[in-house]
Amino acid sequence: MFENVLSTMIFLPIVIGLAAMLIPFSSTTARRIGLIVSLVVLFFGIKVYLGFTGNGQLEFTETRSLIESVGIFYRIGVDGISLFVLLTGAALIPIVFVVVKDRPRAFYGSLLVTQGAMAGAICAADLVLFYAFWEVMLLPIFFMIGIYGGPNRKAATIKIMLYTVSGSLLMLAAIIYLGVAFHGQYGVWSFDTAGLAGLQLSDKAAALSFFAFMIAFAIKIPIFPLHTWLPDAYTEAPAAATFLLSAIMAKIGIYAVIRFIMPIFGPELVRYAMPLAWAAVIGLIYCGIAAIGQKDIKRLLAFSSASHMGILALGLFCLNIQALTGSIYQIMAHATSTGLLFLLIGIIEDRLQTREISDLGGIARQAPIFACFFAIALLASVGLPGTSGFIGEFLIIMGAIKFDTTLGVLAATTLIIGVCYMLWMFQRVFFEKGNDRTNGFADLSICETLAFLPVILLILFMGVFPQPFIARITPAAQSQIATVQGTGQISGQVALDHIQPQK
Amino acid sequence: MIHDYLSLSILLFCLGILGVISRRNVFTVFMSVELMLNAANLAFIALARLHENMDGHVLAMLVMAVAAAEAALALAVVILLHKHTGKVDTNVFSLLKG
Amino acid sequence: MAQNVSYLGMIPLLPLIGAAVVGILHLATCKKKRLPDQLYAVLACSTPILTFVLAVKVFFDLNGLPVDGRALTHEVFTWFEVGEMNISMGFLADPLSSLMLLFVTFTASLIHIYSIGYMAGDESFAKFFAYLNLFLGSMLILVLGNGPVVMFVGWEGVGLCSYLLISYYSEDRSNVLAGNKAFIVNRIGDFGFVLGMAFLFWAIGDSGFDYISLKTNAHMLAPATVTLVCLLLFVGATGKSAQIPLYVWLPDAMAGPTPVSALIHAATMVTAGVYMVARFSFLYVHVPTVGLIVAWTGILTALVSAIYGMFQNDIKKVLAYSTVSQLGYMFAGVGLAAYSAGIFHVFTHAFFKALLFLGAGSVIYALHHEQNIWKMGGLKTKLPLTYKTMLIGSLALAGCPPFSGFFSKDEILYSALASGHTGIWVVGVLVAGMTAYYTFRMIFVVFHGSPRDAHAYEHAHEPPAVMTVPLVILAIGALFAGFLNLPSLFGGSQQVTHWLAPSLAEHAHEASHSIEIIAIAASVAAFAIGIFIAYRKFGKGAEEPVYSGFSSFAYHTFRINELYDVLFVRPYKAIGSAIGNLIDAHVTDGPVQLIVWFYRQFGSTFKLLQVGYVRVYAIYMIIGLSVMSYLLTQSFK
Repeated sequence: MFENVLSTMIFLPIVIGLAAMLIPFSSTTARRIGLIVSLVVLFFGIKVYLGFTGNGQLEFTETRSLIESVGIFYRIGVDGISLFVLLTGAALIPIVFVVVKDRPRAFYGSLLVTQGAMAGAICAADLVLFYAFWEVMLLPIFFMIGIYGGPNRKAATIKIMLYTVSGSLLMLAAIIYLGVAFHGQYGVWSFDTAGLAGLQLSDKAAALSFFAFMIAFAIKIPIFPLHTWLPDAYTEAPAAATFLLSAIMAKIGIYAVIRFIMPIFGPELVRYAMPLAWAAVIGLIYCGIAAIGQKDIKRLLAFSSASHMGILALGLFCLNIQALTGSIYQIMAHATSTGLLFLLIGIIEDRLQTREISDLGGIARQAPIFACFFAIALLASVGLPGTSGFIGEFLIIMGAIKFDTTLGVLAATTLIIGVCYMLWMFQRVFFEKGNDRTNGFADLSICETLAFLPVILLILFMGVFPQPFIARITPAAQSQIATVQGTGQISGQVALDHIQPQK
Repeated sequence: MIHDYLSLSILLFCLGILGVISRRNVFTVFMSVELMLNAANLAFIALARLHENMDGHVLAMLVMAVAAAEAALALAVVILLHKHTGKVDTNVFSLLKG
Repeated sequence: MAQNVSYLGMIPLLPLIGAAVVGILHLATCKKKRLPDQLYAVLACSTPILTFVLAVKVFFDLNGLPVDGRALTHEVFTWFEVGEMNISMGFLADPLSSLMLLFVTFTASLIHIYSIGYMAGDESFAKFFAYLNLFLGSMLILVLGNGPVVMFVGWEGVGLCSYLLISYYSEDRSNVLAGNKAFIVNRIGDFGFVLGMAFLFWAIGDSGFDYISLKTNAHMLAPATVTLVCLLLFVGATGKSAQIPLYVWLPDAMAGPTPVSALIHAATMVTAGVYMVARFSFLYVHVPTVGLIVAWTGILTALVSAIYGMFQNDIKKVLAYSTVSQLGYMFAGVGLAAYSAGIFHVFTHAFFKALLFLGAGSVIYALHHEQNIWKMGGLKTKLPLTYKTMLIGSLALAGCPPFSGFFSKDEILYSALASGHTGIWVVGVLVAGMTAYYTFRMIFVVFHGSPRDAHAYEHAHEPPAVMTVPLVILAIGALFAGFLNLPSLFGGSQQVTHWLAPSLAEHAHEASHSIEIIAIAASVAAFAIGIFIAYRKFGKGAEEPVYSGFSSFAYHTFRINELYDVLFVRPYKAIGSAIGNLIDAHVTDGPVQLIVWFYRQFGSTFKLLQVGYVRVYAIYMIIGLSVMSYLLTQSFK
């Protein structure tokens, strides 16, 4: 168990989650089991963090053969980029089990399965393995929205599923194509990311495969104009599922671009960086403006999340070290802040049975701790210095200005756009006079306070002391940038060498 | 000689098809199916005679066994359908209509 | 050259710790049994006083250093390091920041003490003090930051505290809206600040992004970059320091408790923009054109807000517009490269404006939260101490010699005249007259004449000592602070200017004493005329005027708020609503829906074949089999 830390982090939740669905536990037992499992996963995550050396290579690697005849391996590992995405998920999920109460055991089971699958997608270093986890992590979400969602859940579920699956299938086609092409060039089968980086493709084939991958990831992130599934899905999903979607799954989209597109399709990424960056910036502004027109808090936050994902995506396409580091940092920062906001909104919905902004008011007076936590998460999400949100946004804006002045200036408007809707919402929900409904709002219990507190402290810590994180991110980001720029291009022979020992 | 047998077999088969696609009474449709099976049997036997081996006979016996089993099952289904709807009209059973 | 001292980081940290302790205690206990307010008061007031002590220590430490090496630094830790970007969380105390440090901690201490009296009995007493401490911490980060990024931390932090404190009485929607407005308008300024920082960084930031390195490398900048950076930074300053076109938030910010208006929206935070321009004087001094834009923006803001100030009814609004107006003077000063004059005005302004606000707070407190000056009157007998201190403050604000405001304002006007910008000087003198007029209009209406509201008058009484002692101390400051920078004309030696000289890239405009005398004579004349008109109109009691025509237009602040509402706020909301509810669902999602529609059409075409009758399926089967058999036979040939 201790030798295969990553596999444990992946399969422990999946196995226990499936068991929780099948064995008739009571809801509370299932929740407690979930909490224990997620804490165990967190414990392993911390072990990984402590054992991580940050040499720019994959660490904690495990390799087993799955289908050896076509070169599909179970190959996992973490580097400076995936480590923090993995840790973010591990650190946040225990809170869900504390906060989200009174759901059927299958709900908690689904949560666990998603957690495991997400860890798998983050750690996978084999494209086919990645694809498998990528699809599996969405399945429990399908049930969580479709069964436990809001009134329009069916339409929302179908939309998110068809949207994402159509993207994934394009990716699958591209993965198969890459494998076949690799076989054609080197005579061996392999879907290893590092190996595929040495593939020489014709311009057209490379561009097509690039877009097949890009569309799949762009849907998940989402990048404008492929974001239209998001408002409905986020709004209809139960708080826990929205949390998973926004805090972790969207981040896996960003992460996947860094992990798979950058090494394999470096030249294509450079060629199409400008239009993609524009799409990201347009999405950032467009969704930010759309948020001001929302009457439902969750929908407002959904647009806000889409807007912030725009700035994260922009960080990817600027292709410089500041922006990329900013993006990776922002993955954690945004996951903590937005994830927290969605969970807190879930609490409001649970206690007051409404999400309409016009029905709320005066909560700050009734629940000062709740309001304080919400405010800190909100300030982090608008990028106030001293909170985690600032560092990432600042680095991305700096990088964007280096990349292209116009884009940078447009990206900086996020400073203004963000506060407009956030303050408006905060005013209507937390300030002003309370009404009959909100006057009974109970503050966070001690248990809930303790669950949220570490994340709140993390938000502040990451704002004040980002360097411990950034020092681990920068080498990996630097090597990815070098790969994309062509200076670190892997030759065919190196790729083969990479494969040989595993044959 | 064989041509006459095969022609008769084709004729019977076509009659069966005609029955299946034009009649609405379930029993008639069922009898038409039986007719088609027998047309096939006739062809088997005729060809067996032509080639002077027993393969055709074996198949004909098999078809008859299947037809008997099918008849038993089909009649049971028809009875259930009749119980359910009170009719033996195939047009009543159009759940697959798009 | 710069000396490293380890206590510098403590200065901003102390109030932040204070804020955290008070805040956590408040959160933990506010729902159950509340801790006594005295505990919070002691906790919260100790931090500004301690920082003041440290500020004095900083001052003396600097004073002990040779003039060229007057800088104390403290690099606490590397904040973040990405590629060529290396930002350290470090602090720098040089003469400029030490001056800011002194008056910020000094006024903050007094206002903290004053607030104990003013906020007594408030149900979230502790929250108020937590915010005040948080504000002080942020302000000190702003002042002491060793580079633009650290300054930006404080810059945004004070904006946040300003928001929290403006919407302190959060039950009332208009207060929260005022807070929102302040935050959003400030963020528009911050947008400029961030961009300015970014352009500056990519020009010369890779070899160090703190003031000392920037100053050393400033000569490598292209003139166009300097112009751009200075303009963008000035956008930031207009937001924070309430200049045209972003001044609209400051008058609304008066919705907060009065000590907040005194501390944040008069003495300290709003002067951050001036401080920033002075901080970047090594850039601004190279681009006189931008300086001219700064100066004209400042002086026009001064003019416009002085006009508004003459027609306001709310005592705090009068003071708010006078703050905007005085900030305009400061920008005129720093814009004309008279940085020390601008900073000196910041310094004196802190005393007399804090004094005036606290005095106004006493009046409001005495009259049970009545703020309309036309409901007051004759209060000088009831509130003699408040009256005397406010009179000193008003004389200083109006620029009466020898009060502090006279010297600092005069220095700005003098440098405008000496540098040949007669237009700015003329407007400046005009505004000086208007300032005298509206200040004494307020004094006469509030304290002189006969009471307009007999009931309120009867119940009015002097506030407790915890509130009046700060008033007296500030009054002493307002009286004598001007002598610190006494010009040579009056036999002084301009100590503040000399003190600041190492921090600022100033070239003094040498001019004859005769020009200085002209400037002083004009200012004094303007002051006398302003006060005379005010006395004629309001000296012997006057009734509330009915505003019409221009005065009504000015009372409604030229309808700028309405204009912004129509031009920006409403369209923005409408676009947001349209995108969020219509365009996103019907236009952006259009291609997706088109695909869905295509699938539907495709499906319904094939639906026609699905008739549901068994025999029809039999026909399909037969057709299929026939075609298959035909093809098979063909293939055998």
